Amino acid sequence: MASKPPKGHFHVLYFAAAGSYTSKQVEALPAPLPLSKLFATLEGRYDGITAGVLENSLVTINLAYVDLPGTSEGGEDVMIEEGDEVAIIPPVSSG
Amino acid sequence: MEASQSGEGCYVALTLAHLDIPSLMDRVRSPEAGAIVIFAGTTRNSFASLPVSHLSYTSYPPLALRSMLAICEEVRNRHALKGVAMAHRLGDVPIGEESIVIAVSAAHRGAAWRAGEEALEAAKARVEVWKREEFEGEEVEGVWRANRDGGPGGRGRGQGRVGTQRQRQRFERW
Repeated sequence: MASKPPKGHFHVLYFAAAGSYTSKQVEALPAPLPLSKLFATLEGRYDGITAGVLENSLVTINLAYVDLPGTSEGGEDVMIEEGDEVAIIPPVSSG
Repeated sequence: MEASQSGEGCYVALTLAHLDIPSLMDRVRSPEAGAIVIFAGTTRNSFASLPVSHLSYTSYPPLALRSMLAICEEVRNRHALKGVAMAHRLGDVPIGEESIVIAVSAAHRGAAWRAGEEALEAAKARVEVWKREEFEGEEVEGVWRANRDGGPGGRGRGQGRVGTQRQRQRFERW
């Protein structure tokens, strides 16, 4: 979907409500970043996005769903690395 | 734009073009089948009492195709289908046209009916496609729809993140 992020960065893709909130489809953020810091990093850039979008969304890294650390189902923290493709997946409305 | 993936007895596609039901039906046609069931989901002109002027769909294509193929393989195995095909249209879809078509073939009609319904319900729960409804009149802003609670997506309604992930894991085991 997106070209490679610049050196030392990863891409975040914003779909549906996430894209409306950020007015972007994709942006590059500095890597590495622990997954546990992702929402706080985005909140720092987009005030209110956690309550407005992220709390109802899922997250993928390189097309695989990840559980966010700190939730009751969250596992080990993982590091988002340079070149990774992270996506914010709001509730789907296919069909 | 057209993207597709295939597996044994399975075909899935995303396209900006009109959905072609006869060609999707041909994808599942088999001399061993006694039934082909087609489901066509069409775009409705209202949500609650609000008149919808048009709809547009966006997607995360590589992930959506992967989820669609996984659903097709699950229902094919569960119902011993001869073939399953699923195509979703993206971009602007005028009212009354097909946004999703599912075709399944089986030796007997019972399995085909059940598999078609299961494939659709799984697609609506899991496939990474989003619908935006634009309403008639300028005073009502368009909304991203969410299937799981019938309400708008990403506005703090419905289940929280943890519940959603549990739900997803259930679906993936299902």
